Amino acid sequence: MWVWFSKLGSPKWFYELSGKWLPWLIAAMVIFMTIGLVWGLLFLPPDYQQGFTSRILIVHVAVAGTSLAFFPLMFVAGTITLVWRMKLADMVAKNAAILGAWFSFITLATGSLWGSVMWGTWWEWTDSRLVSMLFQLFLLLGVISLRSALEDSETAAKACALLSIVGCINVVIIKYSVEWWNTLHQVSSPVSMGNDSPNGPEFWIATLIMIIAVYLFLSVSLILSTRNEILERERRSQWVQELVLKS
Amino acid sequence: MLDAIQFSSFAEFVDMGGYGFNVWSVYALFAVFVAVNLILPLRKKEKIIQQLKRRALIDAEIQSEESTDEQ
Repeated sequence: MWVWFSKLGSPKWFYELSGKWLPWLIAAMVIFMTIGLVWGLLFLPPDYQQGFTSRILIVHVAVAGTSLAFFPLMFVAGTITLVWRMKLADMVAKNAAILGAWFSFITLATGSLWGSVMWGTWWEWTDSRLVSMLFQLFLLLGVISLRSALEDSETAAKACALLSIVGCINVVIIKYSVEWWNTLHQVSSPVSMGNDSPNGPEFWIATLIMIIAVYLFLSVSLILSTRNEILERERRSQWVQELVLKS
Repeated sequence: MLDAIQFSSFAEFVDMGGYGFNVWSVYALFAVFVAVNLILPLRKKEKIIQQLKRRALIDAEIQSEESTDEQ
Protein backbone atom coordinates (compact mmCIF):
# COMPACT_ATOMS: atom_id res chain seq x y z
CA MET A 1 0.00 0.00 0.00
CA TRP A 2 2.73 2.49 0.96
CA VAL A 3 4.85 1.58 -2.02
CA TRP A 4 1.83 2.18 -4.21
CA PHE A 5 1.10 5.46 -2.47
CA SER A 6 4.60 6.87 -2.86
CA LYS A 7 4.64 5.67 -6.45
CA LEU A 8 1.41 7.54 -7.09
CA GLY A 9 3.09 10.67 -5.82
CA SER A 10 5.86 10.35 -8.37
CA PRO A 11 5.17 12.75 -11.24
CA LYS A 12 6.90 10.47 -13.73
CA TRP A 13 4.77 7.49 -12.77
CA PHE A 14 1.60 9.56 -13.01
CA TYR A 15 2.63 10.98 -16.37
CA GLU A 16 3.16 7.52 -17.84
CA LEU A 17 0.01 5.97 -16.35
CA SER A 18 -2.24 8.90 -17.29
CA GLY A 19 -0.84 8.71 -20.82
CA LYS A 20 -2.24 5.20 -21.04
CA TRP A 21 -5.61 6.16 -19.57
CA LEU A 22 -6.20 9.30 -21.59
CA PRO A 23 -7.28 7.72 -24.92
CA TRP A 24 -9.91 5.63 -23.10
CA LEU A 25 -11.16 8.54 -21.02
CA ILE A 26 -11.39 10.75 -24.11
CA ALA A 27 -13.25 8.03 -26.04
CA ALA A 28 -15.73 7.54 -23.19
CA MET A 29 -16.17 11.32 -22.86
CA VAL A 30 -16.91 11.71 -26.60
CA ILE A 31 -19.45 8.87 -26.51
CA PHE A 32 -21.32 10.16 -23.44
CA MET A 33 -21.16 13.79 -24.61
CA THR A 34 -22.57 12.88 -28.02
CA ILE A 35 -25.39 10.75 -26.60
CA GLY A 36 -26.23 13.42 -24.01
CA LEU A 37 -26.23 16.35 -26.43
CA VAL A 38 -28.15 14.58 -29.21
CA TRP A 39 -30.69 13.31 -26.73
CA GLY A 40 -30.97 16.71 -25.12
CA LEU A 41 -31.37 18.68 -28.31
CA LEU A 42 -33.45 16.29 -30.44
CA PHE A 43 -35.32 13.77 -28.33
CA LEU A 44 -36.03 15.30 -24.93
CA PRO A 45 -39.79 16.02 -24.83
CA PRO A 46 -40.97 19.43 -23.67
CA ASP A 47 -41.87 19.74 -19.99
CA TYR A 48 -45.56 20.35 -19.34
CA GLN A 49 -44.77 23.64 -17.57
CA GLN A 50 -41.35 24.68 -18.85
CA GLY A 51 -41.61 23.72 -22.50
CA PHE A 52 -38.24 23.20 -24.12
CA THR A 53 -36.35 25.17 -21.47
CA SER A 54 -36.12 21.84 -19.63
CA ARG A 55 -33.36 21.10 -22.14
CA ILE A 56 -31.29 23.80 -20.46
CA LEU A 57 -31.59 21.93 -17.17
CA ILE A 58 -29.82 18.74 -18.20
CA VAL A 59 -26.71 20.84 -18.96
CA HIS A 60 -27.14 23.13 -15.97
CA VAL A 61 -27.72 20.33 -13.45
CA ALA A 62 -24.76 18.30 -14.75
CA VAL A 63 -22.32 21.24 -14.60
CA ALA A 64 -23.67 22.57 -11.28
CA GLY A 65 -23.57 19.18 -9.56
CA THR A 66 -20.04 18.53 -10.77
CA SER A 67 -18.87 22.00 -9.69
CA LEU A 68 -19.47 20.94 -6.07
CA ALA A 69 -16.72 18.31 -6.39
CA PHE A 70 -13.89 20.85 -6.71
CA PHE A 71 -13.51 22.10 -3.14
CA PRO A 72 -13.62 18.61 -1.58
CA LEU A 73 -11.04 17.52 -4.19
CA MET A 74 -8.83 20.54 -3.42
CA PHE A 75 -9.15 19.89 0.31
CA VAL A 76 -8.02 16.28 -0.06
CA ALA A 77 -5.20 17.29 -2.42
CA GLY A 78 -4.14 20.09 -0.04
CA THR A 79 -4.05 17.71 2.93
CA ILE A 80 -1.97 15.19 0.98
CA THR A 81 0.43 17.97 -0.05
CA LEU A 82 0.90 19.21 3.50
CA VAL A 83 1.01 15.84 5.28
CA TRP A 84 2.92 13.68 2.80
CA ARG A 85 4.73 16.42 0.84
CA MET A 86 3.40 15.09 -2.42
CA LYS A 87 4.15 17.51 -5.26
CA LEU A 88 1.67 15.86 -7.55
CA ALA A 89 -1.26 16.59 -5.23
CA ASP A 90 -0.30 20.27 -5.20
CA MET A 91 -0.29 20.38 -9.01
CA VAL A 92 -3.76 18.82 -9.07
CA ALA A 93 -5.05 21.34 -6.51
CA LYS A 94 -3.68 24.27 -8.51
CA ASN A 95 -5.31 23.23 -11.77
CA ALA A 96 -8.54 22.16 -10.07
CA ALA A 97 -9.06 25.73 -8.82
CA ILE A 98 -8.89 27.12 -12.35
CA LEU A 99 -11.21 24.49 -13.81
CA GLY A 100 -13.55 24.84 -10.84
CA ALA A 101 -13.90 28.57 -11.47
CA TRP A 102 -14.94 27.75 -15.04
CA PHE A 103 -17.50 25.25 -13.79
CA SER A 104 -18.97 27.74 -11.31
CA PHE A 105 -19.20 30.45 -13.94
CA ILE A 106 -20.95 28.15 -16.45
CA THR A 107 -23.35 27.04 -13.70
CA LEU A 108 -24.31 30.66 -13.00
CA ALA A 109 -24.57 31.58 -16.69
CA THR A 110 -26.71 28.61 -17.71
CA GLY A 111 -28.88 29.07 -14.62
CA SER A 112 -29.36 32.72 -15.52
CA LEU A 113 -30.38 31.85 -19.08
CA TRP A 114 -33.00 29.49 -17.68
CA GLY A 115 -34.17 31.85 -14.94
CA SER A 116 -34.57 34.76 -17.31
CA VAL A 117 -37.51 33.03 -19.01
CA MET A 118 -38.84 30.79 -16.23
CA TRP A 119 -38.52 33.16 -13.26
CA GLY A 120 -38.58 36.35 -15.29
CA THR A 121 -35.28 37.43 -13.74
CA TRP A 122 -31.62 36.84 -14.57
CA TRP A 123 -30.46 37.20 -10.99
CA GLU A 124 -31.94 37.27 -7.51
CA TRP A 125 -29.78 38.51 -4.63
CA THR A 126 -32.09 37.12 -1.96
CA ASP A 127 -31.79 33.55 -3.24
CA SER A 128 -29.34 31.59 -1.09
CA ARG A 129 -28.59 28.98 -3.79
CA LEU A 130 -27.59 31.64 -6.30
CA VAL A 131 -25.57 33.71 -3.84
CA SER A 132 -23.72 30.71 -2.34
CA MET A 133 -22.77 29.56 -5.86
CA LEU A 134 -21.48 33.06 -6.63
CA PHE A 135 -19.50 32.89 -3.40
CA GLN A 136 -17.93 29.63 -4.60
CA LEU A 137 -16.84 31.36 -7.82
CA PHE A 138 -15.25 34.25 -5.88
CA LEU A 139 -13.59 31.85 -3.44
CA LEU A 140 -12.03 29.93 -6.33
CA LEU A 141 -10.85 33.16 -7.97
CA GLY A 142 -9.37 34.05 -4.56
CA VAL A 143 -7.50 30.73 -4.41
CA ILE A 144 -6.14 31.29 -7.93
CA SER A 145 -4.89 34.82 -7.23
CA LEU A 146 -3.49 33.81 -3.83
CA ARG A 147 -1.45 31.08 -5.48
CA SER A 148 -0.02 33.44 -8.07
CA ALA A 149 0.69 36.09 -5.42
CA LEU A 150 2.52 33.78 -2.98
CA GLU A 151 5.90 32.77 -4.29
CA ASP A 152 6.68 30.23 -1.61
CA SER A 153 4.90 27.10 -2.70
CA GLU A 154 4.50 25.72 0.82
CA THR A 155 2.83 28.90 2.13
CA ALA A 156 0.62 28.87 -0.96
CA ALA A 157 -0.35 25.24 -0.39
CA LYS A 158 -1.20 26.00 3.26
CA ALA A 159 -3.28 29.07 2.44
CA CYS A 160 -5.15 27.26 -0.31
CA ALA A 161 -5.84 24.25 1.93
CA LEU A 162 -7.33 26.62 4.52
CA LEU A 163 -9.53 28.29 1.91
CA SER A 164 -10.62 24.83 0.72
CA ILE A 165 -12.07 24.18 4.18
CA VAL A 166 -14.21 27.31 3.80
CA GLY A 167 -15.08 26.11 0.29
CA CYS A 168 -16.17 22.69 1.57
CA ILE A 169 -18.47 24.29 4.16
CA ASN A 170 -19.90 26.43 1.38
CA VAL A 171 -20.50 23.32 -0.74
CA VAL A 172 -22.73 21.98 2.04
CA ILE A 173 -24.54 25.33 2.14
CA ILE A 174 -25.03 25.30 -1.65
CA LYS A 175 -26.34 21.73 -1.51
CA TYR A 176 -28.89 22.27 1.25
CA SER A 177 -29.69 25.95 0.64
CA VAL A 178 -32.90 25.06 -1.20
CA GLU A 179 -34.11 23.02 1.77
CA TRP A 180 -32.92 25.26 4.62
CA TRP A 181 -34.25 28.51 3.22
CA ASN A 182 -37.23 29.50 1.20
CA THR A 183 -35.65 30.05 -2.17
CA LEU A 184 -36.72 30.95 -5.65
CA HIS A 185 -34.46 28.13 -6.81
CA GLN A 186 -36.44 24.89 -6.82
CA VAL A 187 -35.43 21.76 -4.90
CA SER A 188 -34.19 18.88 -7.02
CA SER A 189 -36.97 16.84 -8.57
CA PRO A 190 -37.29 13.32 -7.19
CA VAL A 191 -36.27 10.67 -9.70
CA SER A 192 -39.33 8.76 -10.82
CA MET A 193 -39.92 5.62 -12.87
CA GLY A 194 -43.24 6.78 -14.30
CA ASN A 195 -43.26 8.49 -17.67
CA ASP A 196 -46.04 10.87 -16.60
CA SER A 197 -43.89 12.39 -13.85
CA PRO A 198 -42.01 15.67 -14.46
CA ASN A 199 -38.74 13.86 -13.78
CA GLY A 200 -39.51 10.57 -15.50
CA PRO A 201 -36.90 8.24 -17.00
CA GLU A 202 -36.51 10.11 -20.29
CA PHE A 203 -35.49 13.18 -18.34
CA TRP A 204 -33.37 11.83 -15.51
CA ILE A 205 -31.53 9.29 -17.66
CA ALA A 206 -30.58 12.13 -20.04
CA THR A 207 -29.40 14.13 -17.02
CA LEU A 208 -27.45 11.15 -15.69
CA ILE A 209 -25.70 10.68 -19.05
CA MET A 210 -24.75 14.38 -19.07
CA ILE A 211 -23.44 14.11 -15.49
CA ILE A 212 -21.21 11.17 -16.47
CA ALA A 213 -20.08 13.08 -19.59
CA VAL A 214 -19.21 16.17 -17.54
CA TYR A 215 -17.30 14.14 -14.93
CA LEU A 216 -15.31 12.49 -17.73
CA PHE A 217 -14.61 15.92 -19.20
CA LEU A 218 -13.45 17.15 -15.79
CA SER A 219 -11.03 14.20 -15.49
CA VAL A 220 -9.65 14.62 -19.00
CA SER A 221 -9.15 18.37 -18.69
CA LEU A 222 -7.60 18.11 -15.21
CA ILE A 223 -5.24 15.31 -16.29
CA LEU A 224 -4.16 17.30 -19.37
CA SER A 225 -3.33 20.43 -17.38
CA THR A 226 -1.64 18.44 -14.59
CA ARG A 227 0.55 16.70 -17.18
CA ASN A 228 1.60 20.12 -18.51
CA GLU A 229 2.43 21.20 -14.99
CA ILE A 230 4.55 18.06 -14.52
CA LEU A 231 6.50 18.75 -17.74
CA GLU A 232 7.23 22.31 -16.62
CA ARG A 233 8.20 21.52 -13.04
CA GLU A 234 10.28 18.46 -13.96
CA ARG A 235 11.87 19.92 -17.08
CA ARG A 236 15.39 19.39 -15.77
CA SER A 237 14.89 15.73 -14.94
CA GLN A 238 16.33 12.98 -17.08
CA TRP A 239 13.02 11.41 -18.08
CA VAL A 240 11.49 14.69 -19.33
CA GLN A 241 14.62 15.41 -21.37
CA GLU A 242 14.43 11.97 -22.94
CA LEU A 243 10.71 12.33 -23.59
CA VAL A 244 11.21 15.70 -25.28
CA LEU A 245 13.97 14.46 -27.57
CA LYS A 246 11.91 11.41 -28.54
CA SER A 247 8.88 13.46 -29.60
CA MET B 1 -36.36 5.84 -32.89
CA LEU B 2 -36.59 8.71 -35.34
CA ASP B 3 -40.27 9.06 -34.41
CA ALA B 4 -39.11 10.32 -31.04
CA ILE B 5 -37.49 13.43 -32.56
CA GLN B 6 -39.50 16.32 -31.21
CA PHE B 7 -39.43 18.45 -34.38
CA SER B 8 -40.85 18.14 -37.85
CA SER B 9 -38.89 20.95 -39.47
CA PHE B 10 -35.54 22.64 -39.07
CA ALA B 11 -37.18 25.99 -38.28
CA GLU B 12 -39.06 24.35 -35.43
CA PHE B 13 -35.80 22.86 -34.17
CA VAL B 14 -34.14 26.29 -34.14
CA ASP B 15 -37.15 27.88 -32.44
CA MET B 16 -37.26 25.39 -29.51
CA GLY B 17 -40.87 26.18 -28.79
CA GLY B 18 -40.16 29.90 -28.50
CA TYR B 19 -37.14 29.51 -26.19
CA GLY B 20 -34.58 29.24 -29.00
CA PHE B 21 -32.33 32.04 -27.77
CA ASN B 22 -32.00 30.65 -24.25
CA VAL B 23 -31.68 26.98 -25.16
CA TRP B 24 -29.13 27.56 -27.93
CA SER B 25 -27.13 30.04 -25.83
CA VAL B 26 -26.76 27.41 -23.09
CA TYR B 27 -25.64 24.71 -25.51
CA ALA B 28 -23.26 27.12 -27.28
CA LEU B 29 -21.80 28.24 -23.96
CA PHE B 30 -21.37 24.63 -22.90
CA ALA B 31 -19.64 23.77 -26.19
CA VAL B 32 -17.21 26.69 -25.82
CA PHE B 33 -16.55 25.77 -22.18
CA VAL B 34 -15.71 22.15 -23.06
CA ALA B 35 -13.67 23.05 -26.17
CA VAL B 36 -11.60 25.74 -24.45
CA ASN B 37 -10.72 23.54 -21.49
CA LEU B 38 -9.52 20.74 -23.77
CA ILE B 39 -7.84 22.72 -26.56
CA LEU B 40 -5.90 25.15 -24.35
CA PRO B 41 -4.07 22.45 -22.34
CA LEU B 42 -3.35 20.50 -25.54
CA ARG B 43 -1.87 23.56 -27.23
CA LYS B 44 0.10 24.41 -24.13
CA LYS B 45 1.61 20.93 -24.11
CA GLU B 46 2.87 21.35 -27.66
CA LYS B 47 4.37 24.71 -26.75
CA ILE B 48 6.15 23.30 -23.69
CA ILE B 49 7.56 20.36 -25.65
CA GLN B 50 8.79 22.65 -28.44
CA GLN B 51 10.40 25.00 -25.95
CA LEU B 52 12.13 22.20 -24.06
CA LYS B 53 13.27 20.63 -27.31
CA ARG B 54 14.83 23.88 -28.51
CA ARG B 55 16.61 24.32 -25.22
CA ALA B 56 17.88 20.73 -25.24
CA LEU B 57 19.25 21.17 -28.78
CA ILE B 58 21.00 24.43 -27.85
CA ASP B 59 22.50 22.75 -24.78
CA ALA B 60 23.75 19.86 -26.90
CA GLU B 61 25.31 22.29 -29.36
CA ILE B 62 27.09 24.23 -26.65
CA GLN B 63 28.41 21.00 -25.19
CA SER B 64 29.77 19.78 -28.51
CA GLU B 65 31.40 23.17 -29.15
CA GLU B 66 33.03 23.05 -25.74
CA SER B 67 34.39 19.58 -26.37
CA THR B 68 35.85 20.61 -29.74
CA ASP B 69 37.45 23.68 -28.11
CA GLU B 70 39.14 21.46 -25.58
CA GLN B 71 40.66 19.38 -28.32
